[in-house]
Amino acid sequence: MKIITCYKWALDEEDIIIDKQSREVITGRAKYRISPYDRNALECGVRFAEANGGEIVALTVGGPETAGSTKDVLSRGANRAVYIACPELAAADSAATSRALAAAVNKIGDFDLIICGEGSSDNYAQQTGPRLAELLGVPVVSYVSKAEIEGNMLRAERKLEDGMEAVETPLPALITVLPDINEARIPSLKQILAAGRKPVDPFTIEDLNLPADMIKPLSARLSTQGAVTDRRCVVLQGDGAAIELVGILKSEGIC
Amino acid sequence: MYDMSLTEEENLMIQSVKEFTQTTIAPAVKEIDISGEFPWDIVNKLIDLGLHAMPVPAEYGGPGLSSVMSAILAEELAKGCPGIATTVGANGLTSYPILLTGTEAQKKLYFDLLMSGKLAAFCLTEPNAGSDAGAVATTAVKEGGEYVLNGQKTFITNGGVAGVYTVFATQDKSKGIKGLSAFIVERDRPGISVGKEENKMGIRASNTTDVFLENVRIPADHLLGKEGEGFKIAMQTLDKARPIVGAISVGLSQAALDASIKYSKERQQFGKPICANQALQFMLADMAIQTEAARWLVHRACYLIDAGLPYGKESAIAKTFASDTAMKVTTDAVQIFGGYGYSRDYPIEKMMRDAKIMQIFEGTNQVQRMVIAGQLLR
Repeated sequence: MKIITCYKWALDEEDIIIDKQSREVITGRAKYRISPYDRNALECGVRFAEANGGEIVALTVGGPETAGSTKDVLSRGANRAVYIACPELAAADSAATSRALAAAVNKIGDFDLIICGEGSSDNYAQQTGPRLAELLGVPVVSYVSKAEIEGNMLRAERKLEDGMEAVETPLPALITVLPDINEARIPSLKQILAAGRKPVDPFTIEDLNLPADMIKPLSARLSTQGAVTDRRCVVLQGDGAAIELVGILKSEGIC
Repeated sequence: MYDMSLTEEENLMIQSVKEFTQTTIAPAVKEIDISGEFPWDIVNKLIDLGLHAMPVPAEYGGPGLSSVMSAILAEELAKGCPGIATTVGANGLTSYPILLTGTEAQKKLYFDLLMSGKLAAFCLTEPNAGSDAGAVATTAVKEGGEYVLNGQKTFITNGGVAGVYTVFATQDKSKGIKGLSAFIVERDRPGISVGKEENKMGIRASNTTDVFLENVRIPADHLLGKEGEGFKIAMQTLDKARPIVGAISVGLSQAALDASIKYSKERQQFGKPICANQALQFMLADMAIQTEAARWLVHRACYLIDAGLPYGKESAIAKTFASDTAMKVTTDAVQIFGGYGYSRDYPIEKMMRDAKIMQIFEGTNQVQRMVIAGQLLR
C-alpha cells in the first residue's frame, strides 16, 4: 500500500506578533513548522502503514523555505519525503498548490490513498484536498474523524456540524482529516536521528513540466492586517447592576 | 573552534522535548507535586522518546547524545518539572560508570536493560556516608565466582523504580576510599529490598528511597573496573554528571524568569503593570543575567567533556553557580508574585522548593567549593 500524506510548511502562528497601532502582522520571529492538522494526516498514514504495511510518502509544495521541512516529516514516520520548493510557489493559493501537488503525485505514481489535513493553520481555506482529488479524478472524503481500511475499501466517519456521517469509498481515494482523528505522536530521539538517512526527492517545476500559468495563484493577497480587540473593562456595582448590564448589551447590539 | 551552533536534528530534538514538556508534563505537574506519586504514565512516554537513555551510544541502541545536547534537553524537561528531569538525570548518572569503565559485556548487559525501558539508580550515599564517600559501610565479599553485598543505601534517586543499580561497596573499610569497588546489580536479584519513599520538600515527582542489600550475590564479572577503583569511578562519574544538575537548575531558573516576566506585565498596581517599575525591571534583568551566565557555564563544562578535555573544576563551577542561581532566581520570582507567589495555588513556590535540592545533591555546593579550591591550589 502506498500512502501519500500532504503537508504545508507554515509559519507558527504562536510566534506571529500583531502591532497594536498599525495592525501590521509581524512574522520576522516566526518559525516554520508542519501545519498542525497535517501532522494528524501524517499520523493517520503512519498508523495505516503500521497496521497494513506499506510506504508513506510525505509531499509538500511551497516557497524555497519548504526544503527545510523534510527531516521533520521523516522523523514523524514518513518513509520518503518529496517536495517542490521554488519562489514561484511562495504565494501559491489553493488552486496553484493543488495543481503542483497533482503533478507531483502523478510523478510519484501509483498510490492507494492520499491524506491531507482538513485545512492549513494559516489560511484554513479547506480547498487543497478536494481540488487535488478532482485533478487526480479520485473520490474525496472530507471532515474525517475516524477511518479504517479493509481490503480495497476505506470506511470513514465524517464529523459534520449537525451529526456524524459514515461513508465508504473504494481506493484509490483522498481524505482530509480533522484533528479528532488521532493524537499525533512526538518524534523520539532515535526517529529524529534516523530521519537524516531516509530518502528525499526534490522535484522541480521543470521536472514536472508545470507551465508558469498552471501554478500562478488565481487570487492574490493584497494586504493583511491583524485583528485587535480592545477591551473596555467596565465594572458595574450595586443593586441595579444587572439592569444596567442588559442596557449596555442592548446598546451594543449584543442582545 | 568553539562552535555553539546546533544541527537540524538537534533542533528537532529540542522541539520534541519542548512539545513533550508542554503537552504531557506541564498539565500534570501540580497533581504530582501534591501526591508525590511517581508519574509512571509520563515516565513511560519519556522512555518511548528515548529520553531516559540520552548518553547510551548508538552501538548499544541509544541515541548517543553529546553532553551538551543532554544538558539542553535536561533544561527543557526541567522547565516543565525538575523532578522528572531528575529521574532522567539519575539514569545518565548511573550510565557513566559503565561508559567510563565497563567492559563490552558489561555495556551490553547494562544498556540492554536501559534500552528495554528500565530505569537505573546510582547507589553511593549511605546513612553515614554522604559527602564523605570514603565512609561507605556497605560491604562486598568475594566468594568464589561471586561477590556478596550487604548494606544500606539512602536517598537513592530512582531507588524504588529502577531495574538496575550501580552499587558502591567496600572490600576493606580500613583502606578508606581505596577499599571501595563499584558493581552492576540487577534489581531482581534476591536480597534487594527498597525502603519507604522520602516525603520530600521538592522534586516530588522523583522517587527517592533507601535500598537494602542483604546477602545479594552477583557474578564476579559485575565488578566495574578493578577492585579498589570504586572511589575513582564515583568521582569521575559525579564530575561528568554534575553539569546535568546545572542544566536542570538552568531550566528551573528560566521557567521562573519566564513566569515572572509574564506576571509582571499582567499584574496592575497603582494603575500600571508592575513591570513599569524600574525596581522590578532590575530584578528581572538580574535574573536573566544570572540564568544566562549559568547556562553558558553548563554548556562550557559539557563542551569540555565532549572534547575530551579536563572538566572537573568547570563541572563543579557550573553545578554550583547554576544551582545557587536557581535558588536565588526562584526566590526572586516568589517575591515578584508577592502573596500569590507564596500560595500553593500558583506554580511559583514549587519552583523555590525544587531549587533547594540542586544545592545539595550530587555533591553539596560546599563540597563543590572544596573541589574547586583543591584544583586552584594544586
